[in-house]
Amino acid sequence: MTTPALAARSVVVRFGGLTAVDGVDLDVDDRTVVGIIGPNGAGKTTFFNALSGLVTPASGRLFVGGADLTGKPAHVFARAGIARTFQTPRVFADMTVAESVRFGLEFAGRRRRAERASLAEVPAILDFLGLADSAALPARAVTPARQRLLEIGMALATRPRILLLDEVAAGLTHAEVEKVARLVHRCRDELGLGVVWIEHAVAVLLDAVERVLVLHQGRKLAEGIPSAVARDPLVIEAYLGDGAAEARP
Amino acid sequence: MARRGLAAVAGGAAVAAALPWLLDDFLVSLALSCLMYVALATSWAMFSGATRYVSLGTSAFFGLGAYVSAWTVAAAPWPVVIAGGALIAAAFAGLAGLAILHLRGTYFAVLTFGMSELTRHAVTYGEKQYAGTVGRVLTVAPSSRTVYLTVLAIAVAAVGVAVVVRGSRFGLALIGIGADEQRAQTLGVPTRRVKVAGFALSAAFAGAAGAAMAVRWTYIDPTAVFNPFIGLQTVLIAIVGGPLSLTGPLLAALVFSLLAEFLRLQFPYAYLIALGILLIVAVLYLPQGLAGLWQTRARAERPTAAR
Repeated sequence: MTTPALAARSVVVRFGGLTAVDGVDLDVDDRTVVGIIGPNGAGKTTFFNALSGLVTPASGRLFVGGADLTGKPAHVFARAGIARTFQTPRVFADMTVAESVRFGLEFAGRRRRAERASLAEVPAILDFLGLADSAALPARAVTPARQRLLEIGMALATRPRILLLDEVAAGLTHAEVEKVARLVHRCRDELGLGVVWIEHAVAVLLDAVERVLVLHQGRKLAEGIPSAVARDPLVIEAYLGDGAAEARP
Repeated sequence: MARRGLAAVAGGAAVAAALPWLLDDFLVSLALSCLMYVALATSWAMFSGATRYVSLGTSAFFGLGAYVSAWTVAAAPWPVVIAGGALIAAAFAGLAGLAILHLRGTYFAVLTFGMSELTRHAVTYGEKQYAGTVGRVLTVAPSSRTVYLTVLAIAVAAVGVAVVVRGSRFGLALIGIGADEQRAQTLGVPTRRVKVAGFALSAAFAGAAGAAMAVRWTYIDPTAVFNPFIGLQTVLIAIVGGPLSLTGPLLAALVFSLLAEFLRLQFPYAYLIALGILLIVAVLYLPQGLAGLWQTRARAERPTAAR
């Protein structure tokens, strides 16, 4: 039994009187893709904020590669190999695409991680994402779809072990979503990353991941392989509803 | 480009160094005021321009430097006095930064302003309590040429450090913090440390400038050296010049000191009105300052050279 790359133990996040994340566990290994679904307000993004060190859990522990990072600031998580994207792309508007990617390499990605097949050069990352032809454009000038790719590129530039994707496919066309799913698989297969993927488009997500975690009102409602979770009456009741029944006949 | 800029700075510094031997006292004191604002605005822009943490605290650092100078100038060698002013101001900025650099925008600006006032009152109280005086007469002072050359050296150092920071990872971190602080942190920037270090580094130049300028005035009191106007004018110069550029604040400092001196003598009220209008125009129409004008033109002329 090896230590998981990322482990969350009974993570609780509170905002004032509201418990946004309530005792959630999660293990992510290298070379796996885990999906997180749940209705709006289920605590998905807040859980990501805890996993990336942006909020400190009220209780519970976070381990990265076996090391306890609970309560450490976000840059420590980044250096330990946790990379993330944001729901609304937060690219550096005034930097070029290439400069934005270089940023990650200059900070969290600076330390060599020779044991992992990470991309260590700006052109390699841009090629991997198919962004090479946008390299010299200011980040604010590229299309929203490309900004989402750039977000992933900035995250990959930290040479991570775990990639947290927060609704990277939201608002994209069906063809673009398929491309993102392929990209996620390449992150797993070619770079050996563990990927945690939050997505609203449940159908796409269930097809793309090996394991899925369902959050509801901050709690873990179900976890397992997609086909089993999709049939779970609790899940259907709480979240999937009619729309999902159509999506997964 | 960088080499040409360096040559321009070196040339400008050489010319400025010769001025005390060429011009009369009035013009030299004008040049001195120019150099002081070059140092203040350049070092301000290095931190506040890049990170967008707008600080009105320059007066606090300047005043502290001035008082360090007043306390030590009779006893310590001149370079030690200047270094002392820089160090005390930097240390104070570091401590203050730890307390207030988690606040952004207006809150940070207002708090730095409050910090200046607090420092002024603390020094006033301390002087009354322990020295039995508020103002201080500086009887032992280096020659005015020494003061001039010192302020010139501080201005050159401020520009030099700003150039080095710009090309460094530290400078990139400051820019990242200005663009999106949380994003920068998730990419591995130790934001708190970088902010405190940048704030302290920037304050060191204001402290050094205050230490040098204090002896020039021969009599100092808290109202004069902690004058909020010093901080406001620094911000104004940097913003009108272009907070993200290097040459903008530098040139704006030259133009403004000359303008200020001229208008202040001729039309003291019109001067403040003109400053106010300029600031409003700059903020509304020239977010990148005057530097934005020539940068836009340079880019339009060379569309292929998109960095």
